[in-house]
Amino acid sequence: MTGSFPAAMLLKSLPEISLVILAGLVLLLSLVWKKRPPQALTWITIAGLMLCLLLALLFALPVKGPYLIWGGLLKIDVLSFLFRMIFLTGAALTVLISVERQPSQGQGEYLALLITSVFGMCLMAASADILMLYLAIEITAMPLFILAAFQFRQKKSAEAGLKYFLYGAMTSTVMVFGFSLLFGISGQTGYSAIAAALEPDRLPVSLTAGIFMLVLVGFLFKVSAAPFHFWAPDVYEGAPTPIAGFLSTASKAAGFAALLRILQEVFRASPELRFGLLAAAAVASMLIGNFLALRQKNLKRLLAYSSIAQAGYILVGAAVGTPLGASGAIYYLIAYLVTNLAAFGAVAVVSSNTGSDQIAAFSGLNRRNAALALVLGAALLSLGGVPVFAGFFGKFLVFASAVQAGAVWLAVIGVLNAVVGLYYYLNLLKVMYLDPVPEGSGPLTVVFPWKAALLVCAAGILVLGFIYRPWYHWADLAAQMLLLH
Amino acid sequence: MSPAVIIFIVLALVAVACAVAMLVSKNAVYSALFLVLNFATIGVIYLMLGAPFIAVAQITVYAGAIMVLFLFVIMLLGGENLRLGEPLRGQRLIGLIFGAVLLAEIVLLLIFRSGMDQMVGTLTIDTSPAALGLEMFNKYSLPFEVTSLVLLVAVIGAVILTRVDPIRRPGKPDQDRKDQSGRQA
Repeated sequence: MTGSFPAAMLLKSLPEISLVILAGLVLLLSLVWKKRPPQALTWITIAGLMLCLLLALLFALPVKGPYLIWGGLLKIDVLSFLFRMIFLTGAALTVLISVERQPSQGQGEYLALLITSVFGMCLMAASADILMLYLAIEITAMPLFILAAFQFRQKKSAEAGLKYFLYGAMTSTVMVFGFSLLFGISGQTGYSAIAAALEPDRLPVSLTAGIFMLVLVGFLFKVSAAPFHFWAPDVYEGAPTPIAGFLSTASKAAGFAALLRILQEVFRASPELRFGLLAAAAVASMLIGNFLALRQKNLKRLLAYSSIAQAGYILVGAAVGTPLGASGAIYYLIAYLVTNLAAFGAVAVVSSNTGSDQIAAFSGLNRRNAALALVLGAALLSLGGVPVFAGFFGKFLVFASAVQAGAVWLAVIGVLNAVVGLYYYLNLLKVMYLDPVPEGSGPLTVVFPWKAALLVCAAGILVLGFIYRPWYHWADLAAQMLLLH
Repeated sequence: MSPAVIIFIVLALVAVACAVAMLVSKNAVYSALFLVLNFATIGVIYLMLGAPFIAVAQITVYAGAIMVLFLFVIMLLGGENLRLGEPLRGQRLIGLIFGAVLLAEIVLLLIFRSGMDQMVGTLTIDTSPAALGLEMFNKYSLPFEVTSLVLLVAVIGAVILTRVDPIRRPGKPDQDRKDQSGRQA
């Protein structure tokens, strides 16, 4: 019967349901509980996110073979499970980093919006229906628009929110146009039904290419890849630092999760098309990101350009489309989560102490707070893809997948770009370790939540860099199940 | 000519006339009211096409809720009699070009429409309001709930982004300015 909601299905979506409840609870507590300790809501949120993680482990483990729930709208498989872990971890770390920057007014809203966004991301990774996917993308993006503008008294934050909103609205309109064409030619919204209607004998390839490009616009915006990357530097610079970190990691991962799924399940009949367009976007992102990062004076802008370049590397794996490519992209995203959150966490610490995001504010960081410099250094080396740090395996896997698929030129461009990237990461290390301490700057205070977040990130960078087997195993399982039909 | 065609022609003429009147009207309130009429006629056309749910949604949501909001904003902000100027130059020219392209596209489509049919998917569902309601609250109950959450987020956002600082004592105007540029120094 169509009208019932079986308990098994509700159990599988228990983490998502509890996220919504958590968002409501935080919002309510912030209104009702006036005499709470200052960080009570933060810890409640983190406990709630961890509880969701636990619920996912207990009740929503992926079963053998794909498993559709909610009438075929969501798919429970290793991919959606793995990305849910990524999002929840990323959100918990972001909440920790956000601690001091939150104005006491609006703290409840800040946290509730963040949780709602995570809810949307979980749906994005699991969507198996274009209607659901579109709504998931909206419920992910809407809170982020608001969060980017959260310090709207500062001009830059207001600008960031507005820019992000306008870009997001525009690109999502183009993507919905693509979705409407998909619905028009198939009369269905489910991925598998659309894929059947897109078979080359039923539809001219030129039309599929047109639709694919329209849909791709929305995804390239989401993952901040060229040619839809223009928003990233301004938004990252203006948005609250933890939110910029969240945008560059969890939000990007959500975009890639949905992209990987739609590539394999909807546009599977046209591999050349996928490779051509995505490889072009990957090369453009790597070049633009790396070369523009060289000239940056502001660390947040530099990390924004670096994040565009990283999107390019990950797109290499998505373009290749083999199991190795997909698992490489997933591994990369896991590594990138801890790495970039560590970097943005360190920026948050320094900028809240010194009031500046400029690279000059980081000079001599080693002598002001050695541990902080060490974490930021590890994050930068991991971003550059130096071995024993997490980023190395990510880069290694995506480039290996390009070579394996016969696209050696793509791997060569990637490696050359990684060298350019390494230049500005090492340059930053030089600033931190060799440059003199600026006059009149005292030691940096690091409050406990920041310490905890940075410690977890640093541990993640090292663990993912030393022990890659279990993580790779999960990424590979997700990729295999994705390619399995 | 069947009655349906006559009704359609009348409706189409009204719709086009309203759209043109909306564009050329100098008073923004009149423009908005012409748009309401345009939406209403389009709603009747939907009804003729056998899509009663869309027709009613068109009337209630577009002609009703959204246009009331429009009128409120126009009247609150005093935009009734804006001077007609172009903030961005060349818009009219670009608009004309795009209009011509659209027209050419429609003519081409009418000439070469054979062969398009097999690409177009067919709707398998019943489009009556009752059937749509059942679909919406059974199969699509999750998207329905998610939509409500999107709206909630939008409301929260509107409240946050328009909030006023609670501490704004008279005689201390500098305090606010210092807060605004806090982190940039």
